[in-house]
Amino acid sequence: MNRLVTVAEMTVRELLRRRGVLLLLLLMPLTFYLIRRDAYLGQSVRSLLLGVGWAVSTAALFATTAARELEPRLRLAGYRPHHLYLGRMLGLWTVGLVISVPFFLLPMIDGADLRYGGLAAALLCSVAVAAPFGMLIGALLPRELEGTLLLLTVVTVQMLIDPAGSGARLTPFWSSREIATWTVDNTDQGYLSRGLLHGLAVTALLAVGVAAVASVRLRRRRHLRHLPVG
Amino acid sequence: MNADDWLRTLTAELHQRRVAADAARHVVAEAATHLREGGGDPWVVFGPPQQYAGAVVESIGTAPGPRPGPVRLHAAGITKRYGRRTVLRDATLTVRAGQIAAVVGANGCGKSTFLRICAGLMSPDAGEVAVSGRLGYCPQSGGTADFLLADEHFVLVGAGQGVARGPARRAGRAAARQLGWEAGGDVQARHLSGGTRQKLNLTMSTLSAPDVLLLDEPYQGFDQGTYVNFWDQLSRLRDAGTAIVVVTHLLNQLDRVDIVLDLTPARETVRHARDSQGGRQ
Repeated sequence: MNRLVTVAEMTVRELLRRRGVLLLLLLMPLTFYLIRRDAYLGQSVRSLLLGVGWAVSTAALFATTAARELEPRLRLAGYRPHHLYLGRMLGLWTVGLVISVPFFLLPMIDGADLRYGGLAAALLCSVAVAAPFGMLIGALLPRELEGTLLLLTVVTVQMLIDPAGSGARLTPFWSSREIATWTVDNTDQGYLSRGLLHGLAVTALLAVGVAAVASVRLRRRRHLRHLPVG
Repeated sequence: MNADDWLRTLTAELHQRRVAADAARHVVAEAATHLREGGGDPWVVFGPPQQYAGAVVESIGTAPGPRPGPVRLHAAGITKRYGRRTVLRDATLTVRAGQIAAVVGANGCGKSTFLRICAGLMSPDAGEVAVSGRLGYCPQSGGTADFLLADEHFVLVGAGQGVARGPARRAGRAAARQLGWEAGGDVQARHLSGGTRQKLNLTMSTLSAPDVLLLDEPYQGFDQGTYVNFWDQLSRLRDAGTAIVVVTHLLNQLDRVDIVLDLTPARETVRHARDSQGGRQ
């Protein structure tokens, strides 16, 4: 448990020290919200949620890429793969929740009339999905630029795809969009439950993906035998 | 280098060359007295400290080193190919507790690859490695977190062994001090100079008290004093029973090691430097 918490803590410390990057990441959801504010509140809130998802997944991508060379030696220092990826995920979720607070308050201050419980759930889903999503991309693509471009592609697809189409359900942040509809448009409960279920399933699926990649990359190699100290 | 630095370097050199402690103290005291009473630049009076230490060793000999202990690392028949290019072919190395092995060879001959295979960070195409005890590994570069402080690195590595924060920090700072570095500041790793960053890297690898220590040219960016401290620390670890494998291209240091593995293609040999047992394994 101590190892998990230590990795989480160091992830938070590292991210909070990247102040420039963090500020730019926070700027994105804010811009997304403000740019659609005059047109339609629903679009504005959905863009905000997508912006939070983008910000957290980019932070996760950076954190994973930065740890690429450190992790093998931490493995030798006594960590198991799950300490490393779960600890990092925990740290990213913590940072994501902290980032979400001002964006939860933003529509409130703006005087938006919506279901705030729904907004909280949608933000939770965005953060929950974004951390393993960014980590998975960071684990599969070794360079930050490639990862960022892929993230950008996914977010653009998410933004442009028809939410009612079946393909939309395959996009990672569909859950927060669905919950946002319930939040803003006062639709039936089905939107909320579908969204929550999707968020839970996608988070679990991505976390399993991260676990699989990390376990392969940080596995004990078969050629190495550990003998008892003689 | 002033007289004090010269005497410190001489002390380290004598220790590394395994001159008996009493005799070494006597030699250093005599040199210090001579410099104090006669004055003059020690480089002019005695010459370079390494050369003077060599002359002392020739004159009074060395204390017998501790007998090598049990085998800690045995790498046998290691072969590695990148595509069609064979980087390592049937490389073999055995290192016992209390021995230093140097892995040498031309650029691109697979020294770092061999070490990464020994550390279990990379799989070979053939061969196997047996390790007895805990492994420590120091890469050539990288291996640290840009935005963390040195103390936080120590806490992170310490937690892997279940060491509490306070003791981990203290152990890290003490190990860093051996390299002439006061590590307790609030400077993030990215702001450290290249040499200091390598000191952090090296300190992290020794922090878990490994039985087998694998070092991939860890002295990049070290100044002369740190470089001397580095070999001094290796000697101390060896005397404490650690099996050390160090990748190096500085052939002038090979008299300080027990085994030399030359990975240059068509010349791959293992020499036992101290026992003068030449030959191919």
